[in-house]
Amino acid sequence: MSSVPMEYYLILSAFMFIVGVTGVLIRRNAIVVFMCIELMLNSANLSLVTFSSYLGNPIGQIFVFFVMTVAAAEAAVGLAIIIAIFRNKLTVNIDEINIFKW
Amino acid sequence: MIGFPILSLITFLPVLGMIIILFLKKEQTAVIKYTALAITALQVVLALVLLMNYNYSAAGVYEEKSFQFIEKFRWINITGISWLGTVKVDYFLGIDGLSMPMVILTALISFIATLSSWNINHSLKGYFALFLLLDTGMMGVFVSLDFFLFYIFWELMLLPMYFLIGIWGGPRKEYAAIKFFIYTLFGSVFMLLVMIGLYFSATETLADGSKVFTFNILQLMNSANYTADGILSSLNPNNMRFAAYIALFVGFAIKIPMFPFHTWLPDAHVEAPTPISVILAGVLLKMGTYGILRISYPVFPDVTKQLMWWIALFGVINIIYGALVALAQKDFKKLIAYSSVSHMGYVLLGMASLTSVGINGAIFQMFNHGTITAMLFLIVGVIYDRTHTRGLNDFGGLASQLPIYTGFVTVAFFAAIGLPSMSGFISEAFVFVGAFSIDAIRTLTIISTLGILLGAGYMLWTLQRIFFGPLNEKWANLKDLEFREYAMFIPLTIVIIFLGVYPSAMLNIMNTSVNSLVNLLSGNINITSISGF
Amino acid sequence: MTNLYQSILLILPEIVVSSVLIILVLSDLIFHKDKRVIPFIAGLGIIVTGAFVINQFGITGFAFQTSSQTVRNYGMMAIDSFGVFFKLIVTASSLLILFFSHASNEIQKTKDRLGEYYALIFGMILGMFFMISATDMILIYLSMEMMSLSSYVLAGFTKLRDRSSEASLKYLIYGAVSSGLMLFGISIVYGMTGSTNLYVINSLIQAPQINLFALSFAIVLIFAGIGYKISSAPFHFWTPDVYEGAPITITAFLSVASKAAGFALLIRFIKTTFVSYIDSNGSWTLINVFDWKPILIGISILTMTLGNFSALWQDNLKRMLAYSSIAHAGYLLLGLVVFSNQGLIAILIYFIVYLLMNLGAFLIVMLVANKTGSEEIDDYNGLGYTSPLLAVSFAIFLISLTGLPPTAGFIGKLYLFIALVDAKMIFVAVIALLNSVVSLYYYIRVLKHMYLVKPTESTATVVPSLNNRILVLALAAPVLIFGIYFAPIVDLAKNCLVILGL
Repeated sequence: MSSVPMEYYLILSAFMFIVGVTGVLIRRNAIVVFMCIELMLNSANLSLVTFSSYLGNPIGQIFVFFVMTVAAAEAAVGLAIIIAIFRNKLTVNIDEINIFKW
Repeated sequence: MIGFPILSLITFLPVLGMIIILFLKKEQTAVIKYTALAITALQVVLALVLLMNYNYSAAGVYEEKSFQFIEKFRWINITGISWLGTVKVDYFLGIDGLSMPMVILTALISFIATLSSWNINHSLKGYFALFLLLDTGMMGVFVSLDFFLFYIFWELMLLPMYFLIGIWGGPRKEYAAIKFFIYTLFGSVFMLLVMIGLYFSATETLADGSKVFTFNILQLMNSANYTADGILSSLNPNNMRFAAYIALFVGFAIKIPMFPFHTWLPDAHVEAPTPISVILAGVLLKMGTYGILRISYPVFPDVTKQLMWWIALFGVINIIYGALVALAQKDFKKLIAYSSVSHMGYVLLGMASLTSVGINGAIFQMFNHGTITAMLFLIVGVIYDRTHTRGLNDFGGLASQLPIYTGFVTVAFFAAIGLPSMSGFISEAFVFVGAFSIDAIRTLTIISTLGILLGAGYMLWTLQRIFFGPLNEKWANLKDLEFREYAMFIPLTIVIIFLGVYPSAMLNIMNTSVNSLVNLLSGNINITSISGF
Repeated sequence: MTNLYQSILLILPEIVVSSVLIILVLSDLIFHKDKRVIPFIAGLGIIVTGAFVINQFGITGFAFQTSSQTVRNYGMMAIDSFGVFFKLIVTASSLLILFFSHASNEIQKTKDRLGEYYALIFGMILGMFFMISATDMILIYLSMEMMSLSSYVLAGFTKLRDRSSEASLKYLIYGAVSSGLMLFGISIVYGMTGSTNLYVINSLIQAPQINLFALSFAIVLIFAGIGYKISSAPFHFWTPDVYEGAPITITAFLSVASKAAGFALLIRFIKTTFVSYIDSNGSWTLINVFDWKPILIGISILTMTLGNFSALWQDNLKRMLAYSSIAHAGYLLLGLVVFSNQGLIAILIYFIVYLLMNLGAFLIVMLVANKTGSEEIDDYNGLGYTSPLLAVSFAIFLISLTGLPPTAGFIGKLYLFIALVDAKMIFVAVIALLNSVVSLYYYIRVLKHMYLVKPTESTATVVPSLNNRILVLALAAPVLIFGIYFAPIVDLAKNCLVILGL
């Protein structure tokens, strides 16, 4: 661990976060948007683990387990909803899911 | 004096009537009408009882013990929040010379308006229920001495008025109703802010010696009650009394309505059914000026003195502007509406003089305007019921057709012009005398006399256009007044002429209180030394 | 072990909610032929929960204390009267929502899935309860997700309607993004302080060597998560769509309970993390690391103004009420920006009032929609003549939402403005007051359609059943009574100001 400075992990984490946020904003496929959200969560996980390791305290790593569980639950609910939409509209493009304007 | 809580009774009697009406069936129109009539008649009786038991030498204004028919008990009492102290609101009613004329006026006008509601032809139940609720709101404003209570009654009127204009009004009723509502609410939110500001600036000493913040208007007048750091306390060097005064004044001015806040009035008047126009002109407009006299003046005497020239200026603008616009009207009801703007200008001018004569004149003018303009709107209503038009140029030569009606119209018009022996003359004369005696506003007073000239102009021209000249053949078969209409016109005519001949009957009621208000304003009285709180 | 035992005693209401949740899932399987019994189980569960919550009145303590902390023995959850108050709000609104659900055609049509519906509602309640008490960022995150995941599904519960599933998807995407932002913010705070406990963070951020820029960035991210829950600008975009698309019972539930839980979380978060000192006048002194005041003032003004002005143009009543609830979130934030117990009391009072009037308004919209199948304002034309009881009650609720006396809404606003004036924030008070004048326009517009437009052939005659009439009156009567005699709600709020902390 000591050979890689903490900053490297954090920069990677920040990069993943930015990719995630940008993806949510610009991608139009609901599934891809979902994947970008997962990316955001995982960037947070990475920084939590990094801090935990460098601070030598376990809270961050415990937190990560919870986040992973939540992310899985969120993905399950999200995919179920996307399937419900797909059955009604035969599309997952969020520009076409537009009874209300976005 | 009187063994029962007469002020609560006179205020909440209409609510009782409203509940009775809500339990009646929709089809029992006659019962509904007579219930409302009985309730308002009873209100007039109660007002007369008040008058008979009225003590002419009690001043009121800032002195709790010289208020009459006081009812006071703790309404909200929340104790023991360490950083706030006790929160208390009183149910505090009482009348003095400032409010007594208004109470009589409200009772009288409500009764007359009920009579003129006979022609309302749909949803009677809802109409009278709302009408009576409105009545309670108006009466409540004039008798409450706690700012919180005052505010509740003030706002209570808004909704019934909205519906009364909006449901039973003319073609553009929705626009007129919402305009009225938004304007008034706009004014009253500022009033709310000032109310809260005053609450945090003054304390009242309770019987056990503890000091609590207060909404009590009388306590707010007492400069000794103000805390050093209150935002509306004159002890605080950064106080906002000036801004607060203007905010409060705007709240009241919208109701008067003072130029430039008057634009809701013509719309509301033109669209409202006749009885509601009568209530609007007869009572609602008076709340603005009453509020200024009851709250703005005695609570902020320092700012009042600074701004008196401006109040007079707006009074004069009201007088001249209202009269000029009235001259240009082709619609009878709109003409009366603008004449109302003009006449309320006299009230402002009289109040601005800060002299005993001027303020006496102003209150008297409030009363007279109430009766005269109510009569004028009834006159419009009568002709509109028969012809379904209000265009001034659609008539002509009606004098020969409707002689009795023409007689009443002439009385009302002459009273509005301010002819001697009519009540309007006395009050306008008082206003001018009062205002003229003050150097600062003498020029303005002289300009404002032009209003009398213009007033005579549009009134006489209207009389001529409607009643004289060749008869418009369309109206050859009009019927003259019927019994119910006599019952509306005669009491008002009697009041107008009686007060024109014997004005002391009314002036005596208010004189003591007005003097005491003027003393308070001029700083001759150190309120802290005499009040036995 | 004593610590664990005491903690369990402190979280009895949450345990009851979880048990009811499990019982509901099981009974959905057991009574799969005839599910009529399930609503009664749910109702009973709520009442028992309420009893346990009330029983907690006056008890204070920390649950699940982490003994290894160096600072002091603070726990994951704080049990205090402030929390009890908000749990009562959530319980009361849940109970009402159960009644609403029983009366709603929309929900009753999905008979075979009723078990899930009630179980998910209890999932939301559980999440809210933990949100209200959470003092550790792990628990904050988990409880928010617990509530959100249940509500995503409930928003799309009538999944056969396009609107409902679309609302659900939007809710989910916005929600997931905002919780992602929040999580990243939490990770930064954790990195800076080495702890997720709010009390520990509070004592650590007072140290001078803290990196203010990173901390502010993290706080903004965390606020995105909470702001989303209370639908404050600029995180409010989901609200109108979700409120319009979701089943109306869920819309009502989101607008009151979920907002209450969000506010409880926000207040507790700010109070425990950033307040260093409370003086004898009850005003809070913030730690000088993040300037909450101007930011919250800006957000609050923006929220109420956006909410009110957007509501002006809405023809769908559910959507209009959605914007109105955004505006009310703005008013409620005003109670927070004064940073004093005075403001806190105003928020609590406002929530009692808001519960009654907002649920009342949604109830009427639901009863009308039961009959007409629509929430468009034109379907209310002349309703005042055909359905007097509903129209009069609706008028009362709308007037109360505007904040005019003599309704309870006025008292709520009055206390907010009292707090503002006392804190000498006159300018903000003026803006808020002008906002309520604007709001009058769209509320009164409904009254205009109900009363000023004459009934036509297509005007529905809604005659609610006796139960529903009682329900309507049970909400309308207190709105009027508290408007005239408000001492009880102020007394209640006054006793619920204890937020465990310094």
